[in-house]
Amino acid sequence: MENNALDIIVCIKQVPMVSELPWNAKTGTLKRELAQGMMDPASRLALEAGLRLKRAGQRDEHSIRVTALTMGPPMAEEVLHQAVALGADHGVLLTDRKMAGADTNVTSFILGRYIKMFRADTGLVLCGAQTSDSETAQVGPQLACELDWPAIGWASDIRLAQKTVVVTRLVDDFMETLEMDLPGLVTIDLGAFVPRYAGLAGVAQAFASPQIDVVDARGLELDRDFNALKDSPTRIVDVFSPATQKESRVLKGAAKTVVDQLFTDYGKIISSAMGKDLKKR
Amino acid sequence: MDFNPCMKHQVVRKTVREFAENEIGPHAASLDREGRFPSEIIEKMGPLNYFGLQVPPALGGAGLDTISYAVVIEELSRVCAAIGLCVSVHNSVGVYPILKFGTDEQINRFVPDMAAGKHIGAFCLTEANAGSDAGGVETTAKQTGDGYTVNGTKIFVTNGGVCDVVLVFAVDAASRGPSRPNVFIVEKSCPGFSVGEIEDLCGMRANPVSSLFFEDCRIPETNLLGKPGHGLKIGLTALDTGRIGIAAQALGIAQAAFEAALSYAKERRQFNSPLTKFQTIQNYLADMATSIEASRLLLYRAAAAKDKGEDFSAQSAMAKLSCSATARTVTDLAVQIHGGYGYSREYDVERYFREAKVTQIYEGTSEVQKMVIARHLITRPS
Repeated sequence: MENNALDIIVCIKQVPMVSELPWNAKTGTLKRELAQGMMDPASRLALEAGLRLKRAGQRDEHSIRVTALTMGPPMAEEVLHQAVALGADHGVLLTDRKMAGADTNVTSFILGRYIKMFRADTGLVLCGAQTSDSETAQVGPQLACELDWPAIGWASDIRLAQKTVVVTRLVDDFMETLEMDLPGLVTIDLGAFVPRYAGLAGVAQAFASPQIDVVDARGLELDRDFNALKDSPTRIVDVFSPATQKESRVLKGAAKTVVDQLFTDYGKIISSAMGKDLKKR
Repeated sequence: MDFNPCMKHQVVRKTVREFAENEIGPHAASLDREGRFPSEIIEKMGPLNYFGLQVPPALGGAGLDTISYAVVIEELSRVCAAIGLCVSVHNSVGVYPILKFGTDEQINRFVPDMAAGKHIGAFCLTEANAGSDAGGVETTAKQTGDGYTVNGTKIFVTNGGVCDVVLVFAVDAASRGPSRPNVFIVEKSCPGFSVGEIEDLCGMRANPVSSLFFEDCRIPETNLLGKPGHGLKIGLTALDTGRIGIAAQALGIAQAAFEAALSYAKERRQFNSPLTKFQTIQNYLADMATSIEASRLLLYRAAAAKDKGEDFSAQSAMAKLSCSATARTVTDLAVQIHGGYGYSREYDVERYFREAKVTQIYEGTSEVQKMVIARHLITRPS
């Protein structure tokens, strides 16, 4: 970190709150304007990671500035106010009718364009590993490609070192620690942290002196004929609720036989649910 | 005229709802059953500014407007009315009168700890022979040396069992005949102050409502709130604000009961159809929703009037009268829609039903609200 200063951008998505989502049957996309919005839970953890880095940086006399960045309809400004209420320094909303219907590819392009045009000195970008509404886990890695930065996905812990970031993540059944040069991008896994609650003073302050910038397609110098929906290579072929199937199995026999069979067949599932290796005594 | 809530109030609502559903909701039924005040939850709420809702940030508060205050109480009460009550009373009739009528010294001495939730506030007017009749106060204060000696008993004090700072109404002991009351800020450390048994109430059982005793209770002169003899004005001003809180509390209870009833009516099947297919149930749900919406508009109108600095006394009385009546009818219908299950402790609606009643009683009965409204109608210039 040069001059003990680091700019962090946290990408935040507003997602629909309800589980019964209103769909546009024609385009296969969500009618976001009809749904109650909320901050995507994974984005919330990415913000939490950024705020923890900021607090740790303050202890080490580093100046860390956290910006919440979102792309969405005008109502998405709400999650930026929430981010500022939680402790972000600043919020940026990228919004324009031309951006509507963007898939992950075009979303990453627009986010990357903003960062390259306006925030080229950013040292670290944080994203949720995958959002609750589409769960593609694509925007983080694609944004790193747009920026031509290194990236680490699914972090469960993160800390800053000199000009690098040290990331811990769960890979299969073991923990892996990686160190990456900055600037770079990290996606944060669900369950990495317990996110803080916003204080009501923070909410009042977020609206008393708003720290939100709004940038449209013209501000990003997008072509006049730019159209996110048409320019998105992803085509949603169908959207449906999968039929869930439950299969019951009854284990029979002596207690020891049944328990042995239970742990032979399902030991791994039980171990991961309990969070410990049952083979260790 | 725009009836849509602004983005700030939506964020306030979502912020409180998230905390209330996660941290309070799982415990609300057991707290009611055990009659236990949840200190561990209150400790979490302090740093999140729930105890300084309208206190300026410089004193450690949130600095919210009155509509936000109403939204906070509504959302807390939607999940746990007893905690909504604690927060409402603390903010409206505990902290607010000190902020409005206190000296700079009193504000700086009492408000920061109250706003942080370290000191819980209470307000005591009601006595064995005083309540709706505020003029019937028999607790006395006698000026002695550099302070006052207070004697008397207050009853049904919300937050009584956990209060640290109490606003006490007392009349001049030396006065013969009717005396204009004073309000004193009494700290629990004052000699002669003690707390009675926690009341065994029908609802709000997680709030430690109790009697407070003042036996030759010594209070420094600097703890007199406002000008001598202005106690009634302080009390009425505090109650006008308090009524917005109780109206919001009643609305939160009604909202919770409505949501429970709607959800149950969609799931419960009779005669091979969900309850929502029956016109009687549809009518109940429509009546409940309409009543809640009308009451909510009255409540926010009263809160907006206060924020604009208008006279909101009649507005807050109307809001409290309407919201508490709505709470009663909506919780009654919610139990009815649940049928036998509604009468069981297994379902939350019986708790809502018990909790709703008192909103028509405390912070001024419905009959007192009508007196306030009628006085306003009769005395205002035509």
